[in-house]
Amino acid sequence: MNTGNDTNHTDIFQIRGLAKDYQMGEVIVSALRGVSLSIRAGEFLVILGPSGSGKSTLLNIIGGLDSPTRGEVFFRDSDLAGYSEARRTRYRRQHIGFVFQFYNLMPNLTAEENVELATEISPDPLPPAKALEMVRLGERRAHFPSQLSGGEQQRVAIARAVAKRPEILLCDEPTGALDISTGKVVLDVLDNINRRFGTTLIVITHNASIGAMADRVVRMMDGQVRNIVENERRQSAEELDW
Amino acid sequence: MTVLHKKLFRSLLRSWAESLAVIMVVLCGTASYICLHSCYLNLALTRDTYYAQNRLADFEIMLERAPANAIFKVEEIPGVRKARARMVKDVNVDIEGVEEPRVGRIISMPVPRRPVMNDVVVMEGRYFEPGVQDEVIVSDSFARLNKLAIGDRLGISVEEKKYSLRIVGYGLSPEYVYMIRTLQEMVPAPERFGILWVPKHFAETALDMKEACNNILGEVDDPKELDAILDRADKVLDGYGVFAKVKQQDQISVRFLGDEIQGLAVNARITPTLFLAIAALILFVLLSRMVRMERTQIGLMKAYGYSDWSVALHYLQYGVILSAAGCLGGFALGQWMADGLIRVYVQLYQFPILESRIYPDVLARSLGIALAFGALGALLASIRAARIQPAESMRPEAPPLGHRVWLERVGPVWRNLGFTWKMIVRNIARNRFRAGLNVFGVAISTGLVIMGFFSLSGMEFWLRFQFQEVQREDVKISFQGERGKKTYYEMARFDHVRRVEPLLEYPFTITSDWRKKDTVVVGLPRGAEMQKLMTFKGKVVPVGESGIVLSDRLARILGVGVGDTIRLKPLMGRVEGEKRAVVRAVAQQFMGTNAYMDINALSRLLNQSFAMNAVLLRIDEDAKESVNREMKDVAGVASVVFNSDAYDSLVKTLAGSSRIMNLVVLLFAGVISFSIIYNVTSVALAERQRELASLRVLGLTTAEVGRVLYHENILLGLIGAAIGLPLGAGICWLLVKAYDTDLYRMPFYIESSAYVKAVLLTLVFVLMANLAVRRKILRLDLVEVLKERE
Repeated sequence: MNTGNDTNHTDIFQIRGLAKDYQMGEVIVSALRGVSLSIRAGEFLVILGPSGSGKSTLLNIIGGLDSPTRGEVFFRDSDLAGYSEARRTRYRRQHIGFVFQFYNLMPNLTAEENVELATEISPDPLPPAKALEMVRLGERRAHFPSQLSGGEQQRVAIARAVAKRPEILLCDEPTGALDISTGKVVLDVLDNINRRFGTTLIVITHNASIGAMADRVVRMMDGQVRNIVENERRQSAEELDW
Repeated sequence: MTVLHKKLFRSLLRSWAESLAVIMVVLCGTASYICLHSCYLNLALTRDTYYAQNRLADFEIMLERAPANAIFKVEEIPGVRKARARMVKDVNVDIEGVEEPRVGRIISMPVPRRPVMNDVVVMEGRYFEPGVQDEVIVSDSFARLNKLAIGDRLGISVEEKKYSLRIVGYGLSPEYVYMIRTLQEMVPAPERFGILWVPKHFAETALDMKEACNNILGEVDDPKELDAILDRADKVLDGYGVFAKVKQQDQISVRFLGDEIQGLAVNARITPTLFLAIAALILFVLLSRMVRMERTQIGLMKAYGYSDWSVALHYLQYGVILSAAGCLGGFALGQWMADGLIRVYVQLYQFPILESRIYPDVLARSLGIALAFGALGALLASIRAARIQPAESMRPEAPPLGHRVWLERVGPVWRNLGFTWKMIVRNIARNRFRAGLNVFGVAISTGLVIMGFFSLSGMEFWLRFQFQEVQREDVKISFQGERGKKTYYEMARFDHVRRVEPLLEYPFTITSDWRKKDTVVVGLPRGAEMQKLMTFKGKVVPVGESGIVLSDRLARILGVGVGDTIRLKPLMGRVEGEKRAVVRAVAQQFMGTNAYMDINALSRLLNQSFAMNAVLLRIDEDAKESVNREMKDVAGVASVVFNSDAYDSLVKTLAGSSRIMNLVVLLFAGVISFSIIYNVTSVALAERQRELASLRVLGLTTAEVGRVLYHENILLGLIGAAIGLPLGAGICWLLVKAYDTDLYRMPFYIESSAYVKAVLLTLVFVLMANLAVRRKILRLDLVEVLKERE
């Protein structure tokens, strides 16, 4: 799968004419100006772009954190644009896992307990211990965030995001706060999840080299999609030229 | 205005609700300080000038009869500067169209006028004209309430003889600022009891006291010598039937007024301090959070070169500005309340002038105190801000170390806890300081509300206890002098009288070792039903055939308990020597320092087989007017007091003063409680924004996130309220202690409904505060919160 440009594979998202305006005082700022994009189920998609290009806004709308001003975002057959706040919450809960640049772990919960936060509200979760093993932190599950390194904390955050068995994993600059070697470990974990579970993985970053790991790379600029490049081959994290 | 000031004002505006809460508490604190303090100063000042200008006597000696020249013997006592002889006597007053008996106290005055001790201040009309005998100056409120005009004639009956006097003026006296006839009355009934100043010659004729007196006033050089002087006077006046020697400080009006002023002074210290301390606490919570949140900004400021001092000062200014704002509001409210309170005092006390001044120094002091408390509240936060190192602050603050909760080790319990509760238990256990602050805030709130209800219900309990349990008669009739069995039977024969109980009230000096107290011993018949001695819990304390029952306050003054022996010496009449009595029991009372004995035993102490000087009656319903008419014709009746009237005037007075005061206290308590709870809740929310946003991103609904927060707050609220119950009882107990005087005391009785109401009200506050912060949860900008670095 995920190799050619045939139309045989299923699209999990169909985005058409997506626009998002923010009212900033008297000025209207357009973060997105007509983005159209299909995202395939199970693909690893990297969205590249400088800050202000609208990539985070796009991710937040896909993830149900934000709603568009105009346009359509079809998740399978239903348009996210029409979702109420409550419906978006349910959507996040059932389908989406989020990972942010800052790990947003509860400082007073252990690694395992942080993962439990997600499993408690999920109908068919991974056991927290298993989720932690997936991110190679099985040994450290009783540690509190203050006892973990930055890369380890980010892996706990990933474990928390995937423990719900989400269909889509959204990562906003997951390695932004990490050095090269720990960043590579984190990327490797993400890549592994994508391959093993078929989880659709969308990573936004301004680090162009990460694009080499993806099935497809979307470049954004000024709230619009510049181009979409399909990779012949996905590099492993180890191979990345940072 | 510097940039820092702009930051300051914008921060204040952004957290306007929390800032307003601090301002409100400071406002309550300063307003109560200004109100109570200026009232205290106004009253004390008025009293002192009034006493000095009209020469309130340093002592008063009451005796049966002495020649007028006995004062020369008194003036010879070293230390006595001047003495004055006068005649004082309670008489019945006839007012046309008034069925109820009125009692007037005749006081003889010199004619022509010359300056004397305890002079009358003529408010309207004039002083007596020389040569005219039948003139009278009537005390101001008595005249007005009975619609007595200058020029009217007033009938009085003295020892079965009737006289008619022409009213020439309205007067006031420093002796009767608080105008009650006896200690037992407690609350003035100015329409039923008045002072009648009459020319000396009239008094001599009417009282049959030619060149005699029954009351000696005196001025001394040094009030500290009074005890010795009065002991000498006792010897000098031996044989004239001295029955009471009263120092100025023990005079009824002086004591009541003094107690009131003292109470104001105590209150002026306790209440505002409590309120301002709470304001400081809220500020502390608010600013500590602000400093934590602004860590990086502070580091940045320092990196640019702002000094530790200017950073500390910046945060101190928050406290100072909020305090100053609250204080300005407090000025206005406090002054307004002071005017209102003074108006209440005008109704209660008879002053020729009662100023409601504005005291700049009180205002200045309140500002100073409020600022000091504000700075105190901000101090810790600003010290913490000053200590922040620029380099360190750029890194996230070292996260708190987590620990396991003991509950987690109790497997079965832990496993059965729902997700929400697991979260809550961990949150509380691992953020003990924040949780503790929350509990503490709610506890103080509950305590304050209990205090508010206590002052309100304490009065009602006091009234109920006094008029439903202790004084159960319908009418009390007092006689001039002692009567025998004959009068008792006579009383029983009147129409509408269903039951009669005799009463003998006699002044004694009671001693135990070196402790000594002048007080009234009350003789009660066996099986007395109309005047009962009880404990506050409602248990009846019987007066046995022998022995003496002391009121709890008297027992404390004398330092005796059940089984101890005390000595009694009559203060009146010609009974010689001391008698002994064993303390049988101690009864609890809110008023006075009386002692109680069997009426026969008390009569024997006075060398009589049976004596009484009052009766208590139970009468038919609606028979008030006919009983009044009957009593008007009985010779030697000094007063007829209907319990319902006494109750009414008490309720009226209390409704006027205490009720308003207590409602204000309750209102303030409510405002402060809500402020505390709101701020603690809102700060806890602000600190957890990030956590809550993470939960929302994971897919928890606002309701689920809210539940974690609300349940936690309600749990902490319940714990706080539980701690607040004993805390509130403690505050009330302190108040009771602070107000304890010989005259009256507050019952330390908190109705269980007060606890229930306080807890409910506190929980309502908790819910309201949570509702108020709910909009913050709803508006939580998930994207923004999570993108900020920790």
